[in-house]
Amino acid sequence: MTQGSRLYFAVTLLMCAFATIHCVGLNELLERASQLSDKLHSISTSLTNDLDSHFPPVGRGMMPRPSMCHTSSLQIPNDKDQALKVPEDELLSLARSLLLAWSDPLALLSSEASSLAHPERNTINTKTKELQDNINSLGAGLEHVFNKMGSSSDNLSSLPFYIDSLGQDKTSRLVNFHFLLSCFRRDSHKIDSFLKVLRCRAAKKRPEMC
Amino acid sequence: MAEAMAYSLSLSLLYLGLLCGNGLVSARGSELFTPDPSRGPHFTGCRSREQETFRCWWSTGTFQNLTEPGALRVFYQTKNALEWRECPDYTRTVENECYFNKTFTHIWTSYCIQLRSVPQNITYDDTCFTVENIVHPDPPIGLNWTLLNVSRSGLHFDVLVRWAPPPSADVQMGWMSLVYQVQYRVKNASHWEMLDLESGTQQSLYGLHTDKECEVRVRCKMLAFDNFGEFSDSIFVHVAQIPSKESTFPTTLVLIFGVIGVVILLVLLIFSQQQRLMVIFLPPIPAPKIKGIDPELLKNGKLDQLNSLLSSQDMYKPDFYHEDPWVEFIQLDLDDPAEKNESSDTQHLLGLSRSGSSHVLNFKSDDDSGRASCYDPELPNPEDLASLLPAHSGRGENHPLVSSSSPSIPDLGIQQTSEVEETPIQTQPAVHSWGNMDFYAQVSDFTPAGGVVLSPGQLNSSPEKKKEEENEKKIQLQLLSDGAYTSENTARQLDVPPSPGPEQGYHAFPTQAVEGNLWNGEYLVSAGDSQTPYLLPEAPPAPTLPPVSDYTVVQEVDAQHSLLLNPPSSQPALCPHTPNKHLPAMPTMPMGYLTPDLLGNLNP
Repeated sequence: MTQGSRLYFAVTLLMCAFATIHCVGLNELLERASQLSDKLHSISTSLTNDLDSHFPPVGRGMMPRPSMCHTSSLQIPNDKDQALKVPEDELLSLARSLLLAWSDPLALLSSEASSLAHPERNTINTKTKELQDNINSLGAGLEHVFNKMGSSSDNLSSLPFYIDSLGQDKTSRLVNFHFLLSCFRRDSHKIDSFLKVLRCRAAKKRPEMC
Repeated sequence: MAEAMAYSLSLSLLYLGLLCGNGLVSARGSELFTPDPSRGPHFTGCRSREQETFRCWWSTGTFQNLTEPGALRVFYQTKNALEWRECPDYTRTVENECYFNKTFTHIWTSYCIQLRSVPQNITYDDTCFTVENIVHPDPPIGLNWTLLNVSRSGLHFDVLVRWAPPPSADVQMGWMSLVYQVQYRVKNASHWEMLDLESGTQQSLYGLHTDKECEVRVRCKMLAFDNFGEFSDSIFVHVAQIPSKESTFPTTLVLIFGVIGVVILLVLLIFSQQQRLMVIFLPPIPAPKIKGIDPELLKNGKLDQLNSLLSSQDMYKPDFYHEDPWVEFIQLDLDDPAEKNESSDTQHLLGLSRSGSSHVLNFKSDDDSGRASCYDPELPNPEDLASLLPAHSGRGENHPLVSSSSPSIPDLGIQQTSEVEETPIQTQPAVHSWGNMDFYAQVSDFTPAGGVVLSPGQLNSSPEKKKEEENEKKIQLQLLSDGAYTSENTARQLDVPPSPGPEQGYHAFPTQAVEGNLWNGEYLVSAGDSQTPYLLPEAPPAPTLPPVSDYTVVQEVDAQHSLLLNPPSSQPALCPHTPNKHLPAMPTMPMGYLTPDLLGNLNP
């Protein structure tokens, strides 16, 4: 399936779940959510590659450490053993918290993408917009997964993002854009991994899915 | 606000710090694996196989004095703990390798490692990465193939290649999601064919050549990452060529010959039964039957022109086909004195038309669209008349028009002139020309515009015949009952104005409706209950006949509904150009027509 049809299919199914007629089971929901997160991660990777293609060398030196990402305070499992031990609803809440934390920054990135001092500006712009759409649909889908799972507590961590501008001059704007995007790429991989673990755990009866 | 300031401050601090570092590698890529001998000690690569552990290798480079173990040490730093720790495990079996086991491997954490010589406190190399970016999965295992099918010619075949994910990658728990890439080539060829990334564990290969050995291999990588693992061991696919079957050949031949035979049979059938088939498929068209018209006479006429002219006409008004319309008409004409006045009007019109040296024929009818015609009261040529007749199925009797009426035609023309009262007309000279006018002329031709071109007939009407009114009427009656063509002429004769003299050509009527009315004598007459059927110009017989043209064309009807006629170039105007002032405003009428009642309104 192409990514577009995947997304459409996923959104359609999620909307079907919206209709409060439980027309899709949890497995299907998780399957579609993991497909969406696949797409999210792929777009962010390709976006990072596009940025890297013409990144000034001096900019690399200016890059902040990844610990400066605004989501670094979230406590996540660091390795496989830990990740496999985390209960499902906590995994889901982690994924949802991460998604929620990136809606504002992505909006900022989207608004800044059109004025980047980069030759691949247009591609970057469209992909950033695509990221925004994906995040929204994935967030909505995960909310349904949460509702379907029937967890009582909704412990979403708040990861505020206070930066409203990427910088004043071209280079700093480009560097900060790149930095934010690398943070996002890491977080999209986290979301993807958590959802895959969730999916495979839910599909234990059907090992062929994982 | 405070966070923003802290952020920007740390940003600037880090910028300074990192700027002091050398050779900062982006967190994504993993370094080259081959050592660079020209350099000093440096890292040659870090790799993770399953996203749970990773290893780093380094090389001493040109510094040979540092080859003994322990001379170079690796320190690493994770994101949170800013202190540098030493490599947790220097692999004993492999030289210059540092192994980070599960405990020390943190995913989504950035690592920075340094290669130092502790005694001299020199940092020879420095690099940073995150573990997921250095994952190179192990190659897939269990590569095998099964034959899907062989082509009909036996030259090509398709296979399905299957494999299993590497055992080290924990795909079942969803920790790693792998995509695979299959490559194949003909054995000992230099170029590998690459297929698209496949997320499943099987792939079909199409179009492989039989009798050629094909080498297939597969490798995998993490989804949305760039680092492929090693290739698996190649497998060799080989299918022996099967001799092709000849069984298809006779079938094709039989089919072709069968089709040819059927075609030949059909052709023969058609040719043998040609006549019958023609009757079945192309039935003969029945000949037209026109009542009152001799089909023989139509043969010489321009029937196609006729038909085209008549095709758009609305000439059939069956309610006009009364029984004995002429009788009724005649009665009214005799009884109603008012008609005399009208006839005087028509005579005026005739006089007017006489001035233009042509006749204006007016048939008054109730709801009929009358027409004004310049006519030549002469014997129409039977053939020409017949040529004008359409396939006329609504008429009562199917008598040829001309044949029955022709004997009486000359009389008719004369008769008309006796009836017409003298009315003052504008231009007298033209009156004389009307004297010997016959009331009909033969139709000689059609103009392209659809007008009827009439030729002057014989001028053999004599004044003394005008006295024979009664006879005329009878003849007319007979004529009309025949449903004859020249009923208009008879209508003229029945009533009113003496026909002035000169033979005239008919006006060429540009409108088709006029021509329609030419034939439909009943149509014309029946409507005219109390009106004179026609208007004839009155004039003493003219001693001389000025040359007249055969036809003239009604150009238009001006605002006051007078006929504006266009005399032909070589001849004087046939029809009078009725001055506007003599024609009071008339109600709307079809172009080229003057209805009888309308004509009554005309007063010179």
